[in-house]
Amino acid sequence: MNQLSQYAKQYKGTQLLMTVIAILTGTSIIAQAYFIVKIVDEVFLNGSSFSSVLPLFGWLAVALIARAMLTFANGRSGAWMAAKVKKQIREQLLEKYARNPVQASLQGQSGRKVSVLMDAVDEVDSYFSKYIPQLILTAIIPLMIIITAFWFDWISGTVLLISAPFIPLFFIIIGIKTQKKSEEQLEQLSAFSGTFLDTLQGLTTLKLFGQAKKQRDTIEDSSLKFRDATLEVLKIAFISSLALEYISMLGVGLIALELGLRLIYFESVTFFTAFFVLVLAPEFYVAIRELGNAFHTGRGSIGAVKLIEEELTKDEDRVVWGKEKLEAGKPPHMTLNQTAFQYGEDGFMIGPLDAEFKPYENIALIGKSGSGKSTALNLLSGLIAPSSGQIMLNRKALSEYEEKSWFDQLSYISQQPFIFSGTLADNIAIGSKQQATREEIESAAEKAGLSPLIKDLQKGLDTPVGEGGRGLSGGEKQRLALARAFLKQPSVILFDEPTTGLDLKTEQILTASMEELSKRATVITVAHRLYTIRQADQILMLEDGKLKTRGDHTGLLKEPAYQQMVQGGAGHE
Amino acid sequence: MNELGIVLRQIAAEKKNVWYSVLFGYIGGVTAAGLFAASGYLISKAALLPPVYTLTLLIAFIKVFGLVKAGSKYGERMVSHRATFNILAGIRVRFFEKLEPLAPGIFQKFRSGDLLARITGDVESLQNFFLRVYYPPLVLILVFLSSMIFTAFYSFWFPLIFAAGLLLTGLVIPAAFALRRQKIEEQVRESRAALSTYTAEVLYGFRDLKIYQQLESKEASLHQSAADYIANQERSSSQGMFNQSVNQAAGLLISWGVLAAGVYLVGEGQLDGVFLAMLVMLSLSVFENAAPMAVLPPHLEDSRKASSRLNEVTDMKPVKAEEPYESLSDEAPAIRFDTVSYTHEGEERPAVKEASFYIPAGSKTAIVGASGSGKSTIFQLLLGVLRTSEGDISLQNKTIRHIESEDIWEKSNVVMQENHFFFGTIRDNLQIAREGLTDEEMLWMLEKVSLTKFSLDDPVLEKGENLSGGERQRLAISRALLRKRSLWLLDEPLSSIDNVTSAEIMRYFEERTEDATVCLISHQLSGLEKMDQILVMDDGQVAEQGTYDELMTARGMFYEMKQIEQEILV
Repeated sequence: MNQLSQYAKQYKGTQLLMTVIAILTGTSIIAQAYFIVKIVDEVFLNGSSFSSVLPLFGWLAVALIARAMLTFANGRSGAWMAAKVKKQIREQLLEKYARNPVQASLQGQSGRKVSVLMDAVDEVDSYFSKYIPQLILTAIIPLMIIITAFWFDWISGTVLLISAPFIPLFFIIIGIKTQKKSEEQLEQLSAFSGTFLDTLQGLTTLKLFGQAKKQRDTIEDSSLKFRDATLEVLKIAFISSLALEYISMLGVGLIALELGLRLIYFESVTFFTAFFVLVLAPEFYVAIRELGNAFHTGRGSIGAVKLIEEELTKDEDRVVWGKEKLEAGKPPHMTLNQTAFQYGEDGFMIGPLDAEFKPYENIALIGKSGSGKSTALNLLSGLIAPSSGQIMLNRKALSEYEEKSWFDQLSYISQQPFIFSGTLADNIAIGSKQQATREEIESAAEKAGLSPLIKDLQKGLDTPVGEGGRGLSGGEKQRLALARAFLKQPSVILFDEPTTGLDLKTEQILTASMEELSKRATVITVAHRLYTIRQADQILMLEDGKLKTRGDHTGLLKEPAYQQMVQGGAGHE
Repeated sequence: MNELGIVLRQIAAEKKNVWYSVLFGYIGGVTAAGLFAASGYLISKAALLPPVYTLTLLIAFIKVFGLVKAGSKYGERMVSHRATFNILAGIRVRFFEKLEPLAPGIFQKFRSGDLLARITGDVESLQNFFLRVYYPPLVLILVFLSSMIFTAFYSFWFPLIFAAGLLLTGLVIPAAFALRRQKIEEQVRESRAALSTYTAEVLYGFRDLKIYQQLESKEASLHQSAADYIANQERSSSQGMFNQSVNQAAGLLISWGVLAAGVYLVGEGQLDGVFLAMLVMLSLSVFENAAPMAVLPPHLEDSRKASSRLNEVTDMKPVKAEEPYESLSDEAPAIRFDTVSYTHEGEERPAVKEASFYIPAGSKTAIVGASGSGKSTIFQLLLGVLRTSEGDISLQNKTIRHIESEDIWEKSNVVMQENHFFFGTIRDNLQIAREGLTDEEMLWMLEKVSLTKFSLDDPVLEKGENLSGGERQRLAISRALLRKRSLWLLDEPLSSIDNVTSAEIMRYFEERTEDATVCLISHQLSGLEKMDQILVMDDGQVAEQGTYDELMTARGMFYEMKQIEQEILV
């Protein structure tokens, strides 16, 4: 609960307000009991008339309405606090994610991050909206009631005082037992509950093997086993509330007995006091019991906040930018100066690399998978910062340039270009530095060979794509990425060449487009095609993150490692 | 209410537990009221200095009420939860029975992961229907009726006030809030979906967003949607609390009315003052039973939505063969496609366009082409998973129109790129192939696909997630090999296996399938030299067909593809 109470600490004012509300709620409960008892006492024993107790009825109504309003106010401030905390946590997470998600997405953790941001944050809610408000109520109301009871009748007060600690005690004992039991059952439970989904997911396989009908019994069987396992856990929880109910029943019964006897035998207590205490006693136990329920709902928040903290405390390498402007339209002179990057403390390391890329050069990065080519591309793009060494542009470090001025000159064409939810036109326009005109978008789409597709679609460029829209094939996505680059006209292009799966048309477009784009830019390609490698002005061959060899194709043919790679690797033979 | 049929039928099957839930709930409610009423009466009576035995009797009553109340509350909870889980089990089974004939065709219509998660979630959410919607009102009404009958002995005013209170707290107030709540919940859902989409976009599309400098504007809308979502949630929960408070206030004011009526009647001499305390205590306790009514409408609405979504799925018609049915023999089939076209639902362009080809019985055919060129759709059509009215497909010279899909599946072995494995052991997963498989047969097969590192008792997790991609593919192919069939459809079955192992497996595979008709979808063009026929798919059409040598000499599309493949190094 530590991290949760850290967040709660920031809202001392709200908690103070809740405390005031709790005191008022306690007052309204006591007032309600007082006026009810007073009215009954007046009418029953003193024989007062209806009209003479009318003011008391007015006060009772006030107390009742106040009580309902205070319940609302208490819950409302809890919800307010929960909303504030959730907002704060989400902003922190978003900020964290926005800073350095490249590594994360390289490690395939994006799905987990979405789930933390959505579900874990929502689970934090109940701690602030339910647990804390109830905690404050429970801390105050029973205390007020017990003081009132002592004030009017110390014997009843003592009964309450003695019976009260049994409730939390029971909670603790049973809580520990339940937790143990439910942990034992948890694995079993998730296995049973997963069967249904598992069977549905495998339905195609089952049908093809003619085994689907049999699964009906498996589903029934696991559902019933799930029932039995769950009921085992629930039973303990139900028994615990049974025991608690007995305790409060016993308490109320004891008080009724004690009061009744004292009324008759000893006449040491008045009807008013006796009735008053009797009305208050159940309220006392209810307030304590409610905490148990709230505690249960608050417990889910603890696990959630742990997940959140894990995300928030993860290391990050922030990319630093400066103020220098990069000259537009002219490719910069790029040098790698002992540039290195390492994933985590003892993760995979690439570099240190030394290289020089002249303007308009075509550079091919080659190497086996896992040799560090993609990391090199990410480093060159400025999406991750070198752990040591530098990337120099026109003899100044990349980190001295203004972020915008660098990205304005850069295009990155990956194997899996991301398609945003929006229209085709929106997705192309994202490439533009300024607001692109419709003509510019159309011409970029034309150059990237998207025209036949667009003509085939009823809504043309305005067809929704991405999430919730039309799916695009690999070839179409690749063409879209090219269209973005045509619109942007960058002076540096990073290109992760596709390995397989493109149609011939896209292959041709790709070759032609890259040729066209490279006229105005330095192109650095993670190359998978011999053609690209042969055409390159400079080839860098990586192995285990280190530069194995470099040169142009003819020059490198003398190197055995290169020879083996180019000749042995081609055509999967 | 029609859409709730699926749950209501199951509830009807749980009669006994339903009755017990209501009974225990009722006893619990009545004894709680009795307890409060008796203690009120006790105190009043005691004030009048009665003989001690009346008091003893009353105290005994209170004790008994207390014990019975707690006990029946426990019973109610146990029984109602047992009933709920039985109902869920029943729904799962019934739903499965309805879905089973629709598969696998239905998965073509939805992105299947999404559909299945939704179904499981919807079935889960129906558990609240019985627990929070179905029987609590019954209990509430019974408890109220009893209190009304009891209080009618004192004055007819009390049952009237109680009836008004029941109407107000049990119906009018919840109903008045239900509509507003529905709207707010809708907004919560919408803003949640928006936030989730924006988050996914920023995380998955980070690189492109950053380089195209759209990150800031996307982030701004992300922050905005996060704020919207939280604001809507806050509104929703505060509305819920307001609803509860109003209900609480109404209940308390009704007790106020009971007290006022009592006081008035005592003044008029129509009621003995000794009952006053009892009546107030009774009223205070009875209205506590109305509290669950506040959460009834949202649960009802959720259940309604969930079951209508489930109905939407089960109401679909499976694509079926037409009578009279013809059955396939066990012989290897010849396959003919005659100008077959197919367009997926909601798509504008056909996935397969006028495809015509002939696959002789016992021949080996490879289908190649880029992703999205229609290869997999050809398989789906061949298996009768998808059916089309444009063109005709025939197997063993019988038109597929009259062949039941189950019959085709029965005669074929299908291995996909991604195959499903179930939670269980290797043995469980292999035994799906055929009845009466011995351990020896299975172990022998594992050896053939170089999976000797596994024993039959090794666990397989859901979707086989503890196995590597290559292991899953090898397990899938061995599962298919354990079943002797004369038609093989393979969709890139060895794409995640290294070349040496995959060549070995293929060699064994060829040995085993000498007489069978084999169709193989392949990304790789090398290794297709031995095929009797190669179909080259492009944009839904069969662009070329012939043997490897024919296609290479023709210097057409296949030749070009081969040139590119030779250019690619991995």
